[in-house]
Amino acid sequence: MIRFDNVTKLYPSQVRPAVDEVTLEIDKGEFVFLVGASGSGKSTLLRLMLREERPTGGSVHVLGKDLNRLSAWKVPALRRQMGTVFQDFRLLPNKSVFENVAFALEVIGKPRHTIAQVVPEVLELVGLAGKEGRRPDELSGGEQQRVAIARAFANRPLLLIADEPTGNLDPATSVGIMRLLDRINRTGTTVVMATHDAAIVDQMRKRVIELEGGHLVRDQSRGVYGYSR
Amino acid sequence: MRSTVVLTEVRNGLRRNLGLTVAVILTVLVAGVLGGLSFLLHEQVNVMKSYWYDKVEISVYLCGTDSVAPSCLGPNGTAQAVTDAQRRQIKADLLSLPQVKEVYYESKADAYKHFEEQFKGSPIAASAPPDSLPESFRVKLKDPKTFAAVTGAFTGRSGVEEVQDERQLLDKLFSALNGIQRGGLIIAALMVVSALLLIANTIRVAAFTRRRETGIMRLVGASNLSIQLPFLLESVVAAMLGALLAGGLLAALKAFLIDGILAPSFQFTPFFGWDSLWKAGALVLIASMLIAASASMVTLRRYLRI
Repeated sequence: MIRFDNVTKLYPSQVRPAVDEVTLEIDKGEFVFLVGASGSGKSTLLRLMLREERPTGGSVHVLGKDLNRLSAWKVPALRRQMGTVFQDFRLLPNKSVFENVAFALEVIGKPRHTIAQVVPEVLELVGLAGKEGRRPDELSGGEQQRVAIARAFANRPLLLIADEPTGNLDPATSVGIMRLLDRINRTGTTVVMATHDAAIVDQMRKRVIELEGGHLVRDQSRGVYGYSR
Repeated sequence: MRSTVVLTEVRNGLRRNLGLTVAVILTVLVAGVLGGLSFLLHEQVNVMKSYWYDKVEISVYLCGTDSVAPSCLGPNGTAQAVTDAQRRQIKADLLSLPQVKEVYYESKADAYKHFEEQFKGSPIAASAPPDSLPESFRVKLKDPKTFAAVTGAFTGRSGVEEVQDERQLLDKLFSALNGIQRGGLIIAALMVVSALLLIANTIRVAAFTRRRETGIMRLVGASNLSIQLPFLLESVVAAMLGALLAGGLLAALKAFLIDGILAPSFQFTPFFGWDSLWKAGALVLIASMLIAASASMVTLRRYLRI
């Protein structure tokens, strides 16, 4: 599903690589936590998976594609098989819940009747049935993140990438979001989630990959957040 | 992306960016009017050339009693009208030149008649006394460029007041018109440059205000075309509106100024027709849409990187 071979990413005008010689493999259906301090390279790793950045050295394979060799016009097709969720939700404030999810399907050319069918289904799945007409600012943080997850999952991606999805949420709400991500994972979708939230990682007992200063320092199945923290 | 989705995006985009959209429309309007006017002026010169070049000839004006040229002065220093013998000799000599195709004589009375016809209804016609126009030989050449042979042979000859190549007079007028046309083109070019910059800036602002939308579109895998097309169409639509307004103004100019005022008062010369106006309109429309599209594509490449 995802394979990094000796991947290094050095941003221009920086001395130290953000990601340094990282090799890892993530299989289909896995749930993986990416942990590490701020600036340890978690986000860069996710951006490399999304091909928002290209590695300075090494190769990245995602969904069977060598991202170094993938031509630019094929990137959208790759991203249609991936869902993304962020700490700041990234919803469109002037669109309703329904419209926010529908937008993601409209812009990849899904026909209207498919959208009319898929959006209520996925909103039901994330527990937002009955709130289709609300605007994002009428929702709680947890509900907003559920909209973002619905949007990411609407096209049934093979891979869901979440960059600190609970970073703006209180612990109780975070638990709800984690249950949702777990449910999505059980449908067969691979989930890669970068997080700072030790309690969640300890509770879920999933695979943990830890980065420190761009190096991979730990890869543990059924791991906890950290030894000393 | 479905076309209705694209159109909704375009409409929303134009509305959200109304001030800049209006600025683009107005700039394209001014550039289009100037460019169209230059084209129409060019057409006008062509129409006049094909009409007048057929009619022009060399005029050999003969001396009258009021002439002031040295060749017309008698021994006592006063002007002497051309004599019958001189007139006959000049005509014979003109006909003997190999470059000359035909020669005909225009008397003072003929000259006045033509003059009256040309300026019918104008106060100029009433102002000239019938006797004031000189008699002349009108010479048609086989090749109008060889006029130097005639002017050289007859200028300064006694009985000849002046040899005038009408073509040169016309060329002076045409080069003046061409100068105006070129000036118009230069100003139009400057307006095009400002339209380009304005469109680029409009797209930059639009791309910034819609960075959330475009960011989401990128992440969910929208194609480059569906991300960029709304921006491209917005500027092309704005340019199109400007060009259509410019075309309307040019048409109004043709209908009211040319057909309504100028053509009835200057019947001796033809004016460009509606076919030229359609051509100018199409030219302005196509050019402004192309300019908008290319400015957009360059800017989008820079500000909407995938």
